[in-house]
Amino acid sequence: MKKIKDLQELDKTGEQGLKRLYPEGRTRVTVGMATCGLATGAEPVFNYLAALAKDREDQILVVPVGCIGFCQREPLIDALIPHLPRITFAKVDGEKVQEIARHLIQNRISVKHAAWRYDEDEFLILNTARRLGNGSLPAAIESIIHYHEIPFFQKQLKIALRNCGYINPEDIEEYIARGGYSSLYRVLNEMKPEEIITEVKLSGLRGRGGAGFPTGMKWEICRDVKDDVKYIICNADEGDPGAYMDRSILEGDPHSVIEGMLIGAYAIGASAGYIYVRTEYPLAIKRFTKAIEAAEAYGFLGEDIFNRRFDFKITISEGAGAFVCGEETSLIASVEGRPPEPRLRPPFPAESGVWGKPTNINNVETWSNIPVIIARGGDWFSRIGTDKSKGTKVFSLVGKINDTGLIEVPMGIKLGEILEIGGGISEGKKFKAIQTGGPSGGCIPASLLDLSVDYEKLTDAGSMMGSGGMVVMDEDTCMVDVAKYFLEFLKDESCGKCTSCREGTQQMYDIVKRITEGNGKKEDIELLENLGNVVKVASMCGLGQTAANPVLSTIRYFRDEYISHTIEKRCPALVCKALISYVIEPESCGGCTVCVENCPSDAITGEPKKVHVIDQKKCVKCGICIASCPPKFKAIKIVSPTVK
Amino acid sequence: MMKYKKKKSKKMKKRVKKEAENMVSLTIDGTVITIEKGKTILDAADSLNIEIPTLCYHKALSPYGACRLCVVEIQKNGKKKIQASCVYQVEEGIEVKTQTPELQNIRETMIKLMMARAPRSEKVKEIARKLGVERTEFISKDEDCILCGLCIRMCSERMGQSAIGFKLRGDKREVSPPFDVESPRCIVCGACFSVCPTASERLKKLSSRPVQPLLDEFDQGLRQRSVVRIPFPQAVPNAAIIDKEHCVHFLNDRCKICQDLCEAEAIDFNQKEEVIDLRVGSVIVSCGFEVYDGKKERAYGNGRYVNIVTSIEFERILSASGPYQGHILRPGDKKEPRKIAFIQCVGSRTDEHKYCSSVCCMHATKEAVIAMEHSPGLACTIFYMDLRAFGKGFDEYYEKASRSGVRYIRCRPSLIEEVPESRDLIIKYSDEIGKMCAEEFDMIVLSCGLQPLKQMSELTQKLGIRLNEHGFCKTDTFTPIESSRRGLFVCGPCAEPKDIPETVTQSSAAAAKAMVLLTEARNSLIAKKEYPPEKDVSDQKPRIGVFICHCGINIGGYVNVPQVVEYTRNLPHVVYVEDNLYTCSQDSQRRIIEMIKEHALNRVVIASCTPRTHEPLFRDTIREGGLNPYLFEMANIRDQCSWIHMTEPQLATEKAKDLVKMSVAKAARLEPLKRVEIDVVQKALVIGG
Repeated sequence: MKKIKDLQELDKTGEQGLKRLYPEGRTRVTVGMATCGLATGAEPVFNYLAALAKDREDQILVVPVGCIGFCQREPLIDALIPHLPRITFAKVDGEKVQEIARHLIQNRISVKHAAWRYDEDEFLILNTARRLGNGSLPAAIESIIHYHEIPFFQKQLKIALRNCGYINPEDIEEYIARGGYSSLYRVLNEMKPEEIITEVKLSGLRGRGGAGFPTGMKWEICRDVKDDVKYIICNADEGDPGAYMDRSILEGDPHSVIEGMLIGAYAIGASAGYIYVRTEYPLAIKRFTKAIEAAEAYGFLGEDIFNRRFDFKITISEGAGAFVCGEETSLIASVEGRPPEPRLRPPFPAESGVWGKPTNINNVETWSNIPVIIARGGDWFSRIGTDKSKGTKVFSLVGKINDTGLIEVPMGIKLGEILEIGGGISEGKKFKAIQTGGPSGGCIPASLLDLSVDYEKLTDAGSMMGSGGMVVMDEDTCMVDVAKYFLEFLKDESCGKCTSCREGTQQMYDIVKRITEGNGKKEDIELLENLGNVVKVASMCGLGQTAANPVLSTIRYFRDEYISHTIEKRCPALVCKALISYVIEPESCGGCTVCVENCPSDAITGEPKKVHVIDQKKCVKCGICIASCPPKFKAIKIVSPTVK
Repeated sequence: MMKYKKKKSKKMKKRVKKEAENMVSLTIDGTVITIEKGKTILDAADSLNIEIPTLCYHKALSPYGACRLCVVEIQKNGKKKIQASCVYQVEEGIEVKTQTPELQNIRETMIKLMMARAPRSEKVKEIARKLGVERTEFISKDEDCILCGLCIRMCSERMGQSAIGFKLRGDKREVSPPFDVESPRCIVCGACFSVCPTASERLKKLSSRPVQPLLDEFDQGLRQRSVVRIPFPQAVPNAAIIDKEHCVHFLNDRCKICQDLCEAEAIDFNQKEEVIDLRVGSVIVSCGFEVYDGKKERAYGNGRYVNIVTSIEFERILSASGPYQGHILRPGDKKEPRKIAFIQCVGSRTDEHKYCSSVCCMHATKEAVIAMEHSPGLACTIFYMDLRAFGKGFDEYYEKASRSGVRYIRCRPSLIEEVPESRDLIIKYSDEIGKMCAEEFDMIVLSCGLQPLKQMSELTQKLGIRLNEHGFCKTDTFTPIESSRRGLFVCGPCAEPKDIPETVTQSSAAAAKAMVLLTEARNSLIAKKEYPPEKDVSDQKPRIGVFICHCGINIGGYVNVPQVVEYTRNLPHVVYVEDNLYTCSQDSQRRIIEMIKEHALNRVVIASCTPRTHEPLFRDTIREGGLNPYLFEMANIRDQCSWIHMTEPQLATEKAKDLVKMSVAKAARLEPLKRVEIDVVQKALVIGG
């Protein structure tokens, strides 16, 4: 493979990629093969289609792609038949894929299985769009809903996720075809490092890892430090439970991160970089490794890139299961082979980082925005979002919502709008709170659904942007239990160095646990508030400084729940096992003995046709009885406080 | 007259600028301070004498910032932040506050958390008290380690071993050696334990190898000593020494904590021995003696039976500055013995050493008397061959001892056995009428003989003097100071065993004899002692300073010295009172001079022993303090009080108060006296002779 050294060669390679993205005379079928897809059974679907395509190489091309975003509907496959719009099929299982495949072999679409269609593909970097299909659509195809009318996609604006779901992440030429590495070319041939930094500053891009520090300023500080050796780091530790934004980018579009790092390295003056990936992301590591190899083969990594005497290489550094490594000084310690522990800043990593050298660390999502900012201009970027928070943010929308998945929306969108994107609360329940920012964030109640999502507003509300996790909670969620869940996570993940975090999280957890077990005292709420505020201020690193957020924000907005738990010994959401009882309503009980037979603890006594009774001493509150009670009776209820 | 300013050279300007570049100015609690770059806020506060509580901080180790007690409020560029002062480096223009209600709240919360974690730690309780915290509302855990990391940093940074580290995280974090296996790098130095604020038991279990304590040579191995120490009380010179053989710095080129912390910069690890050439006209050999090694007497079990000690060991046991602070305890179980036996002539009057060591009978008697005085009810028995009590008053002393209960048995026991459980001892002997007896004792003292130094032969070869048949320096009966070589004189036990008074006498004689040879050079190397000018105190009211001596246990064991001190404070004209362990020691003299200056004393009273011993010394001392030497008075609260009223401590204390009161009253009336010199016609007539 000859290395690409100039624009001509780049364009030529891009054309090769384009031929695979839009094969002439062949149908391109893409299967979502990110972790979300694989988890729902995309692999057998892919294998089936691949086997099919093997015998029909001149007709069908099957390609794996990354996360499209609508994870709720996975496995997702797209079919691009020449002259037709791209059609997406959702929730494709073994049966469906056979029928879809039958149609595809005949160059037809199985409309009844179709979920939505795309009429054009946007090439964000190149600022063009490619029309799909040749104008007049058959009526059947037209009846398929356009993806832009689907609430899930309507308000999204894909910048960081621009290629995810479109390209084969292991095919660098597809990346180049959509404008990949053209920003790098531009930067090396047309811009001085200072100009690059100016552009990034103009864009207003802020760190997407959670802290939200202005990226351009960070680069400038690092650039200004005089040293021959500097490093770039990509923080791919993504420790928040349930967050998978970075994972999706790494699995679906790894080259966007590599290109971003290259541009950053040139701007700052670094010649080597690390990507610190958590070891729990084996697929991301595999795809990224392949991407590095491809980039090296094509000349985008290594020496004398684009003949501009610019050298850069990336080494993968794997984590070992510590949440605290998301904190930059702990991350640096881990890269250096030391156990992860934060240290005081100043000095900041920009002055003295890995191996004592000036180091610039950015999050995966931040890096993947960079090529777009260079291509379209900082000014263009700055027109998206709010005054202080520019651009878009990728959120993982999960929880009690109908349409879970990965969304990328402009900053400033309202929380309520995000709920609409998610299709509303599942099972028709009532919305209670939305938890943002992972374990470092807080819960935002219904009264603040009008809140615009940006860094400052979320922090003011007692939460934070964090890396982008959004967990939706409904009326069946106990907020005290939520606080306990996050505190348990944080106390286990605390590195243990400073007293306030280590002892503080442990004590807060013990107190909240006590409250959920029915042993809460009146003074506990104030104790939690005082302790939480001290832990916030006295801790050395971000983990400790935000550890109190879950409990402080739930007390702030749901104080009455805490009061119920401590004083009335009642759990209004009927979750905390120690505070609830399962009872059989005598007037509803039909005496069918189904629950008696199914109870694993033999806690229910009852004769046929006689009212059954649950022995509270034996009941373990597993819920099997409620599940087995016939719908016509629905006689078993959960009550709180407990009954004897 | 032309005035011109010397221009600062370029080099000078550059140096000044560089120095300025290295300095940072910041404000702490309203005070501006300029300090070197790289120092922390804690360093800066320390130099302003502002106290900030710390726990995981140690001057000799790199700061860690874990305990969060040392948090301060920093205002920088209009923003306020709270950071640990021990790790935060000073920055130009920042404003720091070390005490605010918010900081107090944080510190209180931190200590409450630590009290919950380690409720038994005394250090944590002490800090809690200082912060005004009485109890903690957090759930107790009962750990004994607060994870401050001091032990780890000490082991790694100073001892150079890195045998321990932190494992796991969160509340499961623990100090342990790698993989929980005893580390071969652990040198069992105990440095980790020495800096542990909670005296954690965990550090004692790090190695299965036993700790080898360094034994104090002066205290005959009866107690431990450290590597850096002043060898013994009243040592001359009174300076600390470092044991090169065991010092970690010399062993593996690490540590150096002592040098880093010594503010006087008095430690130089590169010190070398100096060999000096001297031209002299006369040499006095007074190299002393060795004590016979009691362990050589195998039948007597010294070294095998723990409660058998040598006479020198017993001397240290009796001493107030010894291993047991003057309490008579036996080394085995540290219990008080009820019956002690002394065995004389151990290593004397034998085939190896045919001579009598001359002093043992008397010192055994003295030791028995003192021991019985100290522990009423203690019974002492001395097994002797012949009682050598030949000096002035010696025989009376022996008679008195015998009358007051010291048993003397003429016999040289042949065997000592040990009772296994109690580790008591049984002496089998035959009494004066030949009957075989066996008697049990709690403790036995072997009166070991005096013998020549091991190096005697080598030394005397170099000096060119001969030794006698016993290995001591050869002298003649009628010329006991002269050696076998002209110009070399000997004195003290290096010639033959003798006691202290005789040695002192002989030393004066040797000095006189040496001076005879040096008549021509007399006074040529003398430097006149310079005293500070004598202060004129004639127009002052009396300002009396009183120094009350414990004299070890001689006074302090019977007179309640602290009570006398309190009483003396209220006497008229007394402006300063203190008590000393030994007022005659070198450092006490220095102290007296300091106090004279500090409190502008114009008269000094010392309540201690008899003027016979130290009055000249004390007069000289106050003269060095700028006072006329006659503005001095002594109260004898030893010979005239504690020594004679040993059984009535309360009355002795009252008498001591009276004695001091009298001396103070006298001192107030003292006038300075001048010494005059009168010429003497150097002719004398001796009648008689």
